[in-house]
Amino acid sequence: MSAPAGEPDASPVRVLVADDDADIRDLVEFKLTQAGYAVEAVPDGISAWEAFEANPPQLAVLDVMMPGLSGIDVLRKIRESEFPSVPVLLLSAKSRDSDVDTGFAVGADDYVIKPFSPRELLHRVNGMLARAR
Amino acid sequence: MIIGAALLVGATVVILGACVLLVILVVAVRARRHSRNQRDEMLMSPLRSALITVASGEDDDGAAAEQLTWATGVSRVVLDRNIVEMLGKIRGVPADQLVHVLEVHGAVDAAVEDLTSRSSVRRARAAQLLGLARAKDTVPLLVTALGDESVEVRNSAAYALGLIGDPAAAGPVLAAIGAPERGLPAATAAEALQSMGVGISEVLRDGMADDNARTRMVAAHLSAERSFTLGLPQLRRLLSDDPDLTVRETSATAIGRLGRGEDADTLVRHTADTEPLSLRRACVVALGELGDTRAVPALAEILDDSDPRLAELAATALLSMGAEGSAALAGHEDDPAVRTARLLVSLQRASA
Repeated sequence: MSAPAGEPDASPVRVLVADDDADIRDLVEFKLTQAGYAVEAVPDGISAWEAFEANPPQLAVLDVMMPGLSGIDVLRKIRESEFPSVPVLLLSAKSRDSDVDTGFAVGADDYVIKPFSPRELLHRVNGMLARAR
Repeated sequence: MIIGAALLVGATVVILGACVLLVILVVAVRARRHSRNQRDEMLMSPLRSALITVASGEDDDGAAAEQLTWATGVSRVVLDRNIVEMLGKIRGVPADQLVHVLEVHGAVDAAVEDLTSRSSVRRARAAQLLGLARAKDTVPLLVTALGDESVEVRNSAAYALGLIGDPAAAGPVLAAIGAPERGLPAATAAEALQSMGVGISEVLRDGMADDNARTRMVAAHLSAERSFTLGLPQLRRLLSDDPDLTVRETSATAIGRLGRGEDADTLVRHTADTEPLSLRRACVVALGELGDTRAVPALAEILDDSDPRLAELAATALLSMGAEGSAALAGHEDDPAVRTARLLVSLQRASA
C-alpha cells in the first residue's frame, strides 16, 4: 500500500508516534515507514512532547495512557503550541464514549480504539494528511 | 524480668530474620523474572522482525508468517506467548494470520485440552487464548467454563466469549450472573455481552424477567446501552413493579435514554416523595435525559425539595429542556441548588 508521502522529490512526511507499548510502537512505526513516511517513535509522553518541540511533525499518533504525560496532555500542549494545527490521531484502549468525547474535546482529529487494524490506521493517517494539505 | 527481656530479644530476632528472608525472597523472584525476561527477549530476537511484519499487515507474500511457524521448542513457547499478547492489540487480517501461526504450533488445540487442566491458572489462560484466537468452535467449551469453580476462569471464559462475539453465547453469559455460588460478576458479563452485537436483543428482554436481580439489572442496563427499544415495555414494568431498588433505578436510567415522550409521566410518578430517594434521583436525571417538557411542572416543584441534591438534579434537568425549562427556574435563581446546577452545566459546556 503506497503512501502519499508528499510531492515527488519532496522529503517524506514526518510522523511522530508515541506509545509505551513496544509492540504497538514498533508495528505502527513499521507500517507507516513501509508506506513511505519518516517516523519518529518514542516510548512516553514526555519524549513525545520533546520530539514535537524539537522538530514538529506533520502528524502525530499518540497513545492516550502513557507514563509521564498522557496522550491527552501532549495533545493539549500541541494545541497550545506554535503549531496547533498539526493533525493528531489518538490511539487508545479506552473505548468508552466519554473517553472518545474527551479526546475530541481536547482537539484530536481522529480516535482509534485498540485492538485496531493497522491497515485502517494507515488509511486514517493518509486521510488526515490529505485533508490537512 | 529476665525472661521477659529474653522473650523480647527472641521475638525481635525472629521478626528481623523474617524480614531478611522476605527481602531475599523478593530479590530472588525479581532476579528470576529479570533473567527470564532477558532469556525471552533473546529467544524472540530473531523472530521479532517477522512478528512485527505480520502484525502490521505487511506480510504480503506470507514469508514472515511462515518463518514464525518454524519456531520450535522454548522459542515457540515464548513466541506463542508474544502472539497471544499481540492478539489483544490488533484485529483484522494480521490477527487472523497470527492465529494461523498459533494453530500450526498446536497452541489452540493445547488450549482446548488445558480447559480441563487441574490448574485454574492454566484453565484461565486457555480460555483467554481461545477468545483471542476467535475460536468460534470452542464456544460450547467456554460456555461450560462459565460454571468453573474458579472465578478467574469464569471471568476469562466470559471475556473470551465476548471476544468471539457469538450471540448464541449471550443467554449462558447472562444466566451465569445468577448462578448460585459460582456467579459471574455483573460487570464482566456486561462487558462480554456488549461485544455480541444486535443478536442479543431477545436474550436481554428475557433477562429482564429473570429471577435474579443482578441479571435483570444487567439486561436493563444493556438494553439502554445498545438502544434496544423493543425492551421498553419490560423496562417500564421493572421501574414500576420490580422488588429490587437497584433494578428500578437502572430501569429509570434506561428509560431516560431510550424512552418516548409519554414516558415522562411514568418517570414523574416515581419522583414522588413516597418513593426511595435514590429512585427519585434516578428518575429526575432520566427526565432530563428524556428532555420532554411535559415534566417541567413536576421538576419545578422538586426545586423546593428538602433534599438539596435532588433539587440540584431537577435544576440540571430543567436547564437541559431549553427555554421552557429555564423559564421554570425563575424565582429560584438564588437557590444554592440552581446556582450549583448552572455552574456545573457551564463547566460541562466549556469542557466540551
